[in-house]
Amino acid sequence: MNANLKETILNPIFKGNPITVLVLGICSSLAVTVTLKGALVMALSVIAVTGISSLILSTLRNTIPSRARIIVQLVVVAMMVILVDQILKSFEATYAIDKQLSVYIGLIITNCIVMGRIEAFALGNKPIPSMLDGIANGVGYGMILLIVAFFRELLGSGTLFGFDVLNRIGYVPNNLVILPPFALILLGCIVWVQRAIQKDLQEK
Amino acid sequence: MNTNSNAYTIIYTTAIVVVVAAVLAFVSQSLKGKQEANEKADTISQMMTAAQFGSKADFQAKGNTAVLAEYAENIAEAFTVNSKGQKIADFDLGKVYSPSELKKLNYIIKGAQDGEAELPVFIFKDSTTVVPVYGAGLWGAIWGYIAFEPDGKTIKGAYFDHESETAGLGSKIKDDVNFQNEFKNEYADFGAEKVFEIVKGGSPKEADGSEIIDNKIDAITGATMTSNGLSEAVSQWLKAYAPYFEGLAPIEEEVAEEAVEETIAEEE
Amino acid sequence: MEYLSLFVKSIFVDNMIFAYFLGMCSYLAVSKNVKTAAGLGVAVIFVLFVTLPINYMLNEYVLKPGALAWLGSDFANVDLSFLSFIVFIAVIAAIVQIVEMVVEKFSPSLYSALGIFLPLIAVNCAILGGSLFMQQKDFVNIGEATVYSLGSGLGWFLAIVSLAAIRERLSYSNVPAALKGLGITFITVGLMAIAFMTFMGIAL
Repeated sequence: MNANLKETILNPIFKGNPITVLVLGICSSLAVTVTLKGALVMALSVIAVTGISSLILSTLRNTIPSRARIIVQLVVVAMMVILVDQILKSFEATYAIDKQLSVYIGLIITNCIVMGRIEAFALGNKPIPSMLDGIANGVGYGMILLIVAFFRELLGSGTLFGFDVLNRIGYVPNNLVILPPFALILLGCIVWVQRAIQKDLQEK
Repeated sequence: MNTNSNAYTIIYTTAIVVVVAAVLAFVSQSLKGKQEANEKADTISQMMTAAQFGSKADFQAKGNTAVLAEYAENIAEAFTVNSKGQKIADFDLGKVYSPSELKKLNYIIKGAQDGEAELPVFIFKDSTTVVPVYGAGLWGAIWGYIAFEPDGKTIKGAYFDHESETAGLGSKIKDDVNFQNEFKNEYADFGAEKVFEIVKGGSPKEADGSEIIDNKIDAITGATMTSNGLSEAVSQWLKAYAPYFEGLAPIEEEVAEEAVEETIAEEE
Repeated sequence: MEYLSLFVKSIFVDNMIFAYFLGMCSYLAVSKNVKTAAGLGVAVIFVLFVTLPINYMLNEYVLKPGALAWLGSDFANVDLSFLSFIVFIAVIAAIVQIVEMVVEKFSPSLYSALGIFLPLIAVNCAILGGSLFMQQKDFVNIGEATVYSLGSGLGWFLAIVSLAAIRERLSYSNVPAALKGLGITFITVGLMAIAFMTFMGIAL
C-alpha cells in the first residue's frame, strides 16, 4: 500500500479525527451514546453512508454541474441514509434498535462529517481513495462514540451492552451521566487526553 | 459537454433525482413485507406484554413466527366499538393497529377531525381485555396498551412505546418494567374527569408508604413532560372507551375479586 | 398572552442548543469571539424566521395527512408526510441561496461581515430541526409558527453569544495547554447545559 493511501486511512482515526480535531458530527454523538449498542449501530451506519456516498460522488465528480453541487450531494447522501434506515427496519435483529435510533439515523443527512468529507476529499480525488477516506472518518467517529458510550452506559446504567456489570456490586446508576451535558464533558476530557499525547494539536 | 450550462445543470439534477427516487421506490417495495412483519410482531408483543403473557424481552427472544403463533393461540375476540360503547364489527384476529393507525384515531378522539371513532378492543381467552392508548410525549408520539381484568375496571398490566423520548428518562415508559408494573392492580375510574392519572411528585400513599389502590401512579423522576403526555394519552383514550367498559354486564363480584386476589397472591 | 408564553418558552425551555443540542458544529466553531458569534446568530435568526413559516404553510397545505383536501375531496386521504425531510431541506437550501444573493445585492457591507456563515447555515441542524419540531408541535396558525421561529433563533443567538463571551474571558485564564481551546469549550458548554436544565419542563 503506498504511503498516501495509508495516510488517508490512518489520519482520521487519531490525528485528523472528525469529532475531536475537525469538530464535526457533534450533535449525534451526544444523543446516541447512552448505550453501547446504540453507538455501535450509529457508527456502522455513518461508516456505510460516508463510505458509499463518497464512492458514488467521487465517481460522478467530473460530471456534477457546479451550480447544483450541494443539491446533488444532498440527494445522494439522503438516498444512502434512507436505504440504511430501510434495511435496518427489515431485519428482526435490528428492527428494535432502528426504532430507537430512527430520528438520529435521519439526522445523518445533516451530519457535518458526511458533507464535510465529500467537499474536502471525495470531490477532488479518485473513487477508491475517497471511499477509504469516508470509511476511515466513519471509523474515527465511531471510535469516539464507543468511548463516550462506554462511560455513559457503565456509569449511567451500570451495564455494558445491556449486561449488568456495576449493578452486580450494588452500584446505583448515576442519572446525571445519562443526560447529554455529561457527554460534552466527556468529550472535553477525551480531547484533553488526546492533546496531552499529541502536543502539536494544542492551541496556542 | 459544458458542465456549467443551464441546460446541463437542469437535465443532470432531474436525472439524479429520478434515479434516486427509482432506487428508493424499488428498495422500499421489496423490503415492505419484511418491515411490516417486524412491526406487526412488535405490536403483538406489546399487547401480550401488557396482558402479562410474558416480558417484552421474552417476546423479543422468541422471534416473529413464535410470537404470531402464541398470539393466535391466545386471542379470543377482536372488534371495534363506537363512542357509545356499542360493538360495530368484528375484525380479522390477525389484524393489529400500527401507531399510524392509532394516530388517525387519536385525531378523531381529540375532536380535531370529524368522523365516527371506531375503537379496537382485543379480548384474550383468559378474559383479559386490551385497549390501545396514544398521545404526544416530549419529542414525539407515545403509545401503548392497557390490559384489564375480567371485571373491566382493574388494570392487569400495561406496556408503552415511543418514537423519540429522551434516552434514560422519558424512554423509561418503555424500558422500565417497574414503571409499567405500577399500573398493576390500580383501577380506571371511568366516571371521573381524569380516568387515570400519572402524578408528578407521587400519587397518594398509605400511612406505611405502600401504594393506595386508586387511579393514580407516580410520574417518572426527571421525565415530567413525558409522564404528563402519557397521563393525558391514557386518560383521554380510556375516557373514549368509558361507555364500552361501563356498559359491560357486571360479572359476579366474587369472581372478579377472586381473579384479582389470585393475581396478587401469585406475586407474593 | 399565548404568543408571549410561546415566545419565552422557545427561547429558554426549548432552547435549540441547550435542550436539543442542535447546531453544535457551527456553534462550537464560530464562538471564539463575540462579534463573529453575533453575526452568525443574527443570520440563524433570519433564516429560521423565513424558512419556518414557509415550511409551516407547506406542511399545512401539502404534506400532512388530509392536507390536500383543498384540491378536491378525492385527495383528502393523501398523506405526503414522508416527503417532509426532503421538502424542508430543499426549502432551506433555496432560502439560504436567495438570502445570500439578496444580501449581497442590497447590503454589501453586511454580506462581507457575514462572510462564509451564510452558506454554512444550510447544513445547520438547528434550522432543519426547527422545521421538524414545528411539524410535531401542531401550531394553530402561522402566527404561532412565526413566534416560535423568532424565539428559537433568539435562543440560539443567546447561546452562541454567551459562549463566545465566556471563551473570550477564558483566553486570559490559566487553562492547561492540552485543555486549551476545544477541550475547555466542550466542558464549558456541558456546564452551561446543566445550568439550562433548570428550565426543563417549566409550563408557562
